[in-house]
Amino acid sequence: MNLVELTINGKTVKAAKGATILQAALKNGIYIPNLCYDRRLSPYGGCRMCVVEVEGQKGLSAACSTQIREGMVVFTETPVVAKSRKAVLELLLLHHPLDCPVCDKAGECKLQDMAYKYGSTSNRFSASRKDEPERLDSPVVERNPNRCILCGLCVRICQDHQGVGAINFIGRGFKTKISPAFEETLDCEFCGQCIDVCPVGALGSKTYRFMSRVWYMNEEEMICPYCGCGCTTNLSVRQGKIIRGRGKEGVGINDGDLCGKGRYGFDYIYAENRLKTPMIRKEGNLVRASWDEALKYVAERMGSIIEKHGPASVGAIGSQRCSIEDNFMLQKFMREAVGTDNIDSAARFGYAKAHKAMEKSFGSDFMPIGWEAPLNAKFLLVIESDITSAMPVWGLNFILARNNGAHLAVADSKETKLVRNSSQWIRLVPGTGVALLNGMMKVIIDEGLYDKEKAQGIQNFSALESSLKDYTPAAVSAITGVSEDEIRNLAREYSSAKSRLVAMTSGASENIKSLNTMLAGANLVMLLGDSPDTLQIPAEFSNTLGMWSAGVRPAEQGKEMQEMLYAKDASLKALYIMGENPIVTFHDVAAVENTLKGMELLVVQDIFLTDTAKMADVVLPACSWAEKDGTFMSAAGAVQKIRKIVKETGEAIPDWEIFVRLSKAMGKDLGLNSVAEISAQVSEKLSTLGKNDLKLSFNPAAYELIENSSSEFPMLLVTANILQHSGALSSLSRNLDSVVSDAYLELSPADAEKYKIINESYVKVISKRGEILLKAIISNEVPEKTVFVPIHFAHAKVNTLTYPAVNGGIPLVPVRIEPA
Amino acid sequence: MIVKQRAYEAKEALLMPALYAAQREHGWMSPEAMKSVARALDLPPATVKGFATFYDMFRKKPVGKHVIQLCTNVTCILSGSEDLLSMLSDKFGIAPNETTTDGRFSLVAMECIGACGTAPAMIVNTDFYENLTKESIFSILENYK
Repeated sequence: MNLVELTINGKTVKAAKGATILQAALKNGIYIPNLCYDRRLSPYGGCRMCVVEVEGQKGLSAACSTQIREGMVVFTETPVVAKSRKAVLELLLLHHPLDCPVCDKAGECKLQDMAYKYGSTSNRFSASRKDEPERLDSPVVERNPNRCILCGLCVRICQDHQGVGAINFIGRGFKTKISPAFEETLDCEFCGQCIDVCPVGALGSKTYRFMSRVWYMNEEEMICPYCGCGCTTNLSVRQGKIIRGRGKEGVGINDGDLCGKGRYGFDYIYAENRLKTPMIRKEGNLVRASWDEALKYVAERMGSIIEKHGPASVGAIGSQRCSIEDNFMLQKFMREAVGTDNIDSAARFGYAKAHKAMEKSFGSDFMPIGWEAPLNAKFLLVIESDITSAMPVWGLNFILARNNGAHLAVADSKETKLVRNSSQWIRLVPGTGVALLNGMMKVIIDEGLYDKEKAQGIQNFSALESSLKDYTPAAVSAITGVSEDEIRNLAREYSSAKSRLVAMTSGASENIKSLNTMLAGANLVMLLGDSPDTLQIPAEFSNTLGMWSAGVRPAEQGKEMQEMLYAKDASLKALYIMGENPIVTFHDVAAVENTLKGMELLVVQDIFLTDTAKMADVVLPACSWAEKDGTFMSAAGAVQKIRKIVKETGEAIPDWEIFVRLSKAMGKDLGLNSVAEISAQVSEKLSTLGKNDLKLSFNPAAYELIENSSSEFPMLLVTANILQHSGALSSLSRNLDSVVSDAYLELSPADAEKYKIINESYVKVISKRGEILLKAIISNEVPEKTVFVPIHFAHAKVNTLTYPAVNGGIPLVPVRIEPA
Repeated sequence: MIVKQRAYEAKEALLMPALYAAQREHGWMSPEAMKSVARALDLPPATVKGFATFYDMFRKKPVGKHVIQLCTNVTCILSGSEDLLSMLSDKFGIAPNETTTDGRFSLVAMECIGACGTAPAMIVNTDFYENLTKESIFSILENYK
């Protein structure tokens, strides 16, 4: 990097060429006051608080928008500068109300701090203050236009960084205010980034309104419990209760960026159905029990089942939300105390596919995403994934890449947020991403655009070549609905780009992709001679990768999830479920329910009394993520600590400790008694990951639907994630529920007309497995013959309609809709 | 690269001409007009509203058939535009930023239109007039029925 040397306040400092005075100063520990600067945004030069004296320069320069030069001499605190700042503050305080005693920002307000340092005790001017009503009508975000100093940070972070643009400066001059377009209730994605950047109390968290003065709270850095990004959220605790989350510059891989889940979702631990004591089913009802009683009960029943049916009749389900230590102990307990290899998790329907694809294609056992990978490619191709919803903060890097000049092509059937921020939208029929990839490869091979030397040396090249013969542009166009020219151009442009990236998500609830889509992505990467890490498929939840790596999957002959829960022969007699709610989150609920009912022993260890727990013989209460120590592994492979920051709920104990106690009750000591001891053994196991040599191989991947639409079921149901939720967990957060609390069905205006469906009315959705009722939303974002449904809400029972798939076929669900 | 460069594409650059086009069609910047611009350019409505409310050329309420935009900045004032403005007000019975009851004229006190050398000046709809006098201004307006 080219460094420039300059002098600030007599101190010689170095900074990168092209940096501004403000950036150079901050980087070297010299603070210059500023109100409209943010590291993530372009210089704005609006507030004039950062003015400094530059030797040889007439007047004052705004440090945020003046680039440094070799030998520049800068003074940041001179009498002239102080006088100017004082005047600026005088003007700001002319309009800004001095209502600090009732402002939640007081104590961490930049304007307050600056007024304290530079401000005047009197004001030479007079003017009327704004008298706008406070806006408390939208969920989670409150707006107080009177306190606004019009720095524009919220407008710019929303538009330029988040890619939304929900608010703007409305009006001109004194009357200007920040508002949605037409004074309507703010209706955005509710990430709350605008609240973090607001230097005053004009924007605030409604959930934190009048909860505490900032100086009464302890702020704790915690890993967010939701998606695989592994962001650090800063949680404020007062009197043993978490009352606020926020992002902070320089903290965590997210460097202060947060989505709504990370900011507001912490309160799921205060849900009403938290378990407080163990419970045992007696005479059909779950009744309170002591730990000793419950563990003894499980030990005895488990023991007799093992004796009668053998250890292979016991199965276990791990949790992507529990810590590495919890999951490690679950599998250790199952393998060593019970003696079964029937261990799996919900990741079987999600990340397992990505893992399988990476293993088959690259011979890799561990492929975390690269956090900055999107920033290193000139052409990013995203296949049927809204990364900005599934991995919101990592998704920002895709928007940033595009803003920095990369080409972002998104193949999606729906107009998602990522589509709105893309350079190119390839609108295809849902589930046909694999065909599109095959079609691209066909063009690339036919036109000789691939890396012949590398690709022809990879195993199965000829098999790939012959598998693509039916994927001519004409055929692919017929499948995907994308024009032949667009397919050809995409293939040509992608293959000729300087650097490339293919990305997709691997959510268990998404039914538009499958193993084959991921294999096709890998094939494309290898065909062009790119490195395997240019295929980016993130693990879904906060500890999916950690759970997977800790051994929660069959190692030898154990049953996988589909055999445990969906097999016709009921060979399992006992099932131990940790932190998972199959009756809601797994596909084909009727089949799951049937299997669970057939168990001789069902043990559910959870933090909530879930629908699955209600069916259990024994329910064991566990600590939530904020009530125990441990580690999560993010999708990027970082092992990060979670800590006990609040007291456990009732008699709950950490999951790992339940296994310590249970194994002892069964007379088998696992030999590990603390998080430290477990961590030591896990890290040994984890340290071997990703060390094997890669072995590349093409895997022909066909496009096929497992079930096709028919005259009886003419529409295809697409299940998807929405930005405000993550699995079923977030629906227990009151804060997040205030944004979206109910399932719905989105359909195109044409289909609405065809099936006589009125906006916001209820519709019956019927598949061959059952029927459910959902509220219909008519949306231009959705293509015809398709309905979109978010999967997060237990009461909507969407999984009544779906079915599990672990292999190559696309598990879209044919349905029919009728007005209810 | 520390100072971030946003690779601008043409969307925002089209906003001004698009707003003019919408104003020609709708007569003023109605919410519908702004929403249609937002849809056409695929921009957030808040961005469009922000632009539209910043510039004086975009009308915030419905106007008459003809819009008289008389400059009231320094040079024009010195050359008598204040008198002209009050004459127009008296004649049509409306204050600046109002519209006659028959909907024929709207009167706008305009910021500088860059005609200081030939002040006072005005723009009627899109037609430019300079060196205005008490006599000439009414005969000009006679042409706008």
